[in-house]
Amino acid sequence: MSGMSVNDRAYAIATFRFISVKLMEIVARWTPTTPEMEVKILFGRHIWDFAQHADTLGKRTFELRQPEQFSRKPVDAYVALLDEMSELKTTAERLGALYDGMLPAIEKRYRDYIAAADPILDEPSIVIMDRIISDLDRMRRDAASLRREHSIAEWNPAAIAGAERGIAHIVA
Amino acid sequence: MADIGTFEIDGMTLQLEPARDDCFKVVRNDRDMSEHDGFGEVARREMVHRHMSNEMTSIDIAAQCLVDFPDAPWPLRMELARQCYDETRHVRALHRRLVEMGGYKGEFPISAFEWCVTSALDSLAARLATQNRTFEAGAMDVVAGLARSLRAEGDEETAYVLDAILADEVQHVRFANRWIKKLAAENPRVLMKVAHAVRFLAEANLRFVAKGGETSVNGKVFAAPEERVPAVNVDDRKLAEFTDDEVQVILRQAGFRTIA
Repeated sequence: MSGMSVNDRAYAIATFRFISVKLMEIVARWTPTTPEMEVKILFGRHIWDFAQHADTLGKRTFELRQPEQFSRKPVDAYVALLDEMSELKTTAERLGALYDGMLPAIEKRYRDYIAAADPILDEPSIVIMDRIISDLDRMRRDAASLRREHSIAEWNPAAIAGAERGIAHIVA
Repeated sequence: MADIGTFEIDGMTLQLEPARDDCFKVVRNDRDMSEHDGFGEVARREMVHRHMSNEMTSIDIAAQCLVDFPDAPWPLRMELARQCYDETRHVRALHRRLVEMGGYKGEFPISAFEWCVTSALDSLAARLATQNRTFEAGAMDVVAGLARSLRAEGDEETAYVLDAILADEVQHVRFANRWIKKLAAENPRVLMKVAHAVRFLAEANLRFVAKGGETSVNGKVFAAPEERVPAVNVDDRKLAEFTDDEVQVILRQAGFRTIA
């Protein structure tokens, strides 16, 4: 991503914003249909995390000549993957897909952006993404300890992680 | 609302209950709850358990609003997302207190009445009017009175938890008041939705709320609904931006009893 233009940066950040809003909505959708009180609590906490990520990314788009809270849909395959995840039914599937499959993959995409970004000219984006990465790590640890404490079955996230990795570029 | 179905009762269509742990017995009528009079140990545990359950239901309702109204203004969606987080802290704090008191999750029957009514409404303004502006505002009255009574009974710890929760609820009611006004100013039809929500809730209350003289499963005899209206928490209602006229209406319903 070396030499990203202002437009390239705005579109990438708007794409990350779309994903954050979508994750907020997916977890919100799962909340009423998830029976375990402790998992409902985890989801409720993380709805707010994803909302804050979207909000801070949305403020950054405004600094890059786009509207405030500007979202941009990723490539179709990525939207389809998120929609597919949204349909998962069991608590084990939901926790495994989100926290072991999607979040590590999204974290890597933020790291890739930071690695390619100009450390001076795009420093505000880097600061935002560093904070989001730190949050995502905490959210994964929250989920892992919840699963241990409440003996929730592990679910193999390989398929969803593989599908995510298979999409090289997410910006449409 | 594709994920959870509906049920019919006497011509009304309400939302089926959200998912709950198997340890909970979910009921629909006040009569099937295990509410106790007074502030004995079991009564206080049941009260904390009931509030914990209601907070869980509030998470479900706020989360469902985020799903059902993706085109709502972003600042309003942020408020709802924040509310989800606040309600999780309420559940955790009440569960912590319940365990300290020797209780446990599932010890008493619970109801998700607020979800069944609110989530059956098809506009965000109507849901805000019902859940935040009615149920949560009513809880401000109830919780303030409870905190005071618990302190008088020497249960400072439970009162401390309820008081902290109350401060958060003020904001949940306030943002609903602000947004209903804003949405109504932009589109007067919103007021019709709000009026419909008020009527819908009144109809649901007629079907589920215990009538005077009815008895619960644990032998509590209910006073008439109008006699059960709690004293009004005027200060917090004003902080939540109810107008003076609106506070007067609530006061009249409560026989002008206030939490001074």
